[in-house]
Amino acid sequence: MTIAQAALTGALIGGLYALMATGLSVTWGVLRVINLAHFAMILLGAYLTYQLATSTGLDPILTVLITGPVLFVVGAAVQWAYDRLHVAEFTSLLVSFGLLIIAIQAVTLIWSADFLRMPGDINPYATESWTVGRFVFPVTTVLAFGLALVLVAALHLVLRRTFAGRGMRAIAQDRAVAAAFGVDHQRLSLVLGGVAGASAAAAGMVFALTNALSPTAAYEWFGIVFAVVILGGIGQVVGTFAAGVAVGVVSAVVSAAWSPATAPIVLFSAIVLALVLRPQGLFTLRSVVGAGR
Amino acid sequence: MRRYGGFGLAFLILAAVGLWGRDAGVPGFVVPLGITALFWIAQATSWNLLSGFSGYFSFGQAAYVGTGAYAVAVLTGRHGVSLVWSVPAGAALSGLLALAIGAVAFRLRSLRGEIFALLTLAVPFILAAVASINRTIDGGQGTTIPLPSVPGWIDGFPQLLFVLDAAVAIGALAVAAAVQHGRLGWGLTAIRDAEDVAEGIGVGTLAYKMWAILLSGLIGGLSGALYALQIGFVTVEGVFGLTIPLLVIVMSVLGGRTHWLGPAIGALLIVTLQDRLAASGYTDWNPIVLGAVLAVLVVVAPDGLYGRMRARPWAVIGALVVPIVAGYYIPYGDLQNWVLAGMLLAALVAVVPARWLPARLLRPPRPEPVPAVDRPAPPEPGPPGETVVECRSVARYYGGVHALEDVSLTVAGGELVGLVGPNGSGKTTLVNLLSGTVRPSRGAIAVAGQDTARLAPHRIAHAGVARTYQIPRPFDSMTVRDNVAMAGMFGRRRLPLAQARAEAGAHLETVSLDRLAGAYPGSLNLHQRQLLEMARAVASEPRVLLLDEAMAGLNPAEIDEAVEVIRRISAAGVTIVLVEHLLRVLNQLATRLVVLDRGRLLADGEPQAVLADPAVVRAYLGRQTRV
Repeated sequence: MTIAQAALTGALIGGLYALMATGLSVTWGVLRVINLAHFAMILLGAYLTYQLATSTGLDPILTVLITGPVLFVVGAAVQWAYDRLHVAEFTSLLVSFGLLIIAIQAVTLIWSADFLRMPGDINPYATESWTVGRFVFPVTTVLAFGLALVLVAALHLVLRRTFAGRGMRAIAQDRAVAAAFGVDHQRLSLVLGGVAGASAAAAGMVFALTNALSPTAAYEWFGIVFAVVILGGIGQVVGTFAAGVAVGVVSAVVSAAWSPATAPIVLFSAIVLALVLRPQGLFTLRSVVGAGR
Repeated sequence: MRRYGGFGLAFLILAAVGLWGRDAGVPGFVVPLGITALFWIAQATSWNLLSGFSGYFSFGQAAYVGTGAYAVAVLTGRHGVSLVWSVPAGAALSGLLALAIGAVAFRLRSLRGEIFALLTLAVPFILAAVASINRTIDGGQGTTIPLPSVPGWIDGFPQLLFVLDAAVAIGALAVAAAVQHGRLGWGLTAIRDAEDVAEGIGVGTLAYKMWAILLSGLIGGLSGALYALQIGFVTVEGVFGLTIPLLVIVMSVLGGRTHWLGPAIGALLIVTLQDRLAASGYTDWNPIVLGAVLAVLVVVAPDGLYGRMRARPWAVIGALVVPIVAGYYIPYGDLQNWVLAGMLLAALVAVVPARWLPARLLRPPRPEPVPAVDRPAPPEPGPPGETVVECRSVARYYGGVHALEDVSLTVAGGELVGLVGPNGSGKTTLVNLLSGTVRPSRGAIAVAGQDTARLAPHRIAHAGVARTYQIPRPFDSMTVRDNVAMAGMFGRRRLPLAQARAEAGAHLETVSLDRLAGAYPGSLNLHQRQLLEMARAVASEPRVLLLDEAMAGLNPAEIDEAVEVIRRISAAGVTIVLVEHLLRVLNQLATRLVVLDRGRLLADGEPQAVLADPAVVRAYLGRQTRV
């Protein structure tokens, strides 16, 4: 595979990273909750897609119409619990770590720890691809890229242009003052938690299309997703998308040029370097106020 | 060293159990379970040394375990080097790694807790990748450690490992206890509560954090090296996995992070729980129980069990001992199950609200011993008129904003200089420059003849500068007295804690806060918190005291009281720079007024003369104001 094709594939896979990371980034930046349970929701989304597609024969892409609303409710419920129990930034990291472990083990108990893959007759997308000139576009990664683009654009517009979005940005900057000006924090965080949950459903669906599922996949996402969140700038949706693509390209090119095993070294060294040089995120513009610090 | 005799005794008992326990009828499960428990006690304590005491949560404990384990795997497993060398080598490598992590992380200017957590999360990933590609280390194959031969007088290898693990775990606890009760521990606590305030009163925060991370790395690596012997087969997944940081965090949070014993209590409970779940065939439920413990506990008892156990010791000991004794005599079920039942019951007793327990079981909070008030020798005020602070052509730019431009100023000993100016005129910037929180873009600053422009804030504090903050920032986990004592302990006189506490009483009297000495800052009102800021600043016996709007938000009666306090401090010979908007206060206190306007020095002189200056009136007071 040429380097150019690797970069292209990487950029498309980066869409999946961005799809996974956006919900985490927004709840962190706006609601001040580092929700590791987000990984659990992606995992759950992936397994639900697998289950629905294999047991009902539903087109796996369409399963998101069911898993999306389900995980919207889950996400909103988790957020509601955090609010009720006043789980703030650092505690949330610990509490949601606990929830994540529980979820991973529950998935193991239900679906076993073995790798599960949707059979080809149910999921034709895994092997399909479009070819344009010399370049190959796998259907699933194009789908991930497209979904990420839609999600990011929608969230960006909502946060920038709508009244609710202004309210959310106000919460991000100062919750107490925002409340004093009549921003209904609880309702907005329910909605935002729900949207993060629905985005996790989409990410899980795309993941299930291309990969064999195992419960520990959630841990494997940790490194790359946090890399994307931090590089993109916490709470910055557009930055998260850009960071997802950048991380995808770097990993793919390094894997193609040297060996796949070197990719984590380069990637995590890049993260450390990025943290040292630009702790506010690579793609954060000074004028863009999202995380508000 | 009498205080640490208990650790020696504990080790001797454990060593005796390991070496001769079988003959003495100690149940067989003790040694294998003990090896696991002691490993986790050492790891949790290692984690707590940095993360518990200083508040910088690390998710990278696996890096230390993995470095220690791989040192043994490569040196002993592949090259046949004696364990006598490879185990210390593991500790040393891990210590070096910790220093490297600290050197990168703690130099980040805007390092926050979450960023540190994620940085440390990345480290084991990198190391794991290095180990799996590098064929001289492992190449991802895993390495078997040959079991060393054991002298004849020891029953077997597990017994030897048990004794070694006991030495490391007890040693780790002794180190943690020494750190907690020493200067390092107090400094780390101050860092956890308010890091830049700690730096401002003279805590060398970078050095303190580096010491903590070094100790953490050394202990983690040493214990990790022994872990290689325990598991016998070292793999990347086994030693660099996320289970290790997860477990140490759960254990420390469960047991309590602010006391050296907390993580060990958490480790004992979790290890016993896991062991029993596995023995009962519920291995699959292990993570679920762990996750639930973590999630519930952080919400219900975020401070951990240890502090709560201390408040009701007899109830807890009873809950622990009764089931164990009962289990010993009742011929039903495993003794281990009874031990677990006792532990869980004790934890439950510790967590339930106090009103559910009979009052007799509660120990009323012991009143803190009140040290005799010790009047500090009055600081030798330099001869009045001697220059204390000198700024020459100081400027500070933020990007294109000129916050201060070409300000030259001298303050002589014993003066009380009022620093005034409209909002945004550079008053706070000047205070920040003098205290070292920001560095000048140009110009020179000297305090008592010492050039401070390039010094770290804690060195400037040692040179004799103390400050208060507009918004009071006390150390929330310490009493009012200890807040003040910190300044004496870490300031330029570096007093021992006992003396600093005794003197703190006198400083609290100066600001009329002595009756609240035993209270925690959380219960103070704004006025009292501002007075506490002043007492803390005075306690370092500064050459110059910078009061940054110390009366913002006070009512008139409180202002009068604060004015009295400042007058008392000044009468004791302390040079004061007072940033203030209230002319009434300045008229009463200031011996000299300095006016800033848009970053430039507008006027400097006698208060009456300055206030009559038309330029000052125009810039600051507006045209119509009567003075």
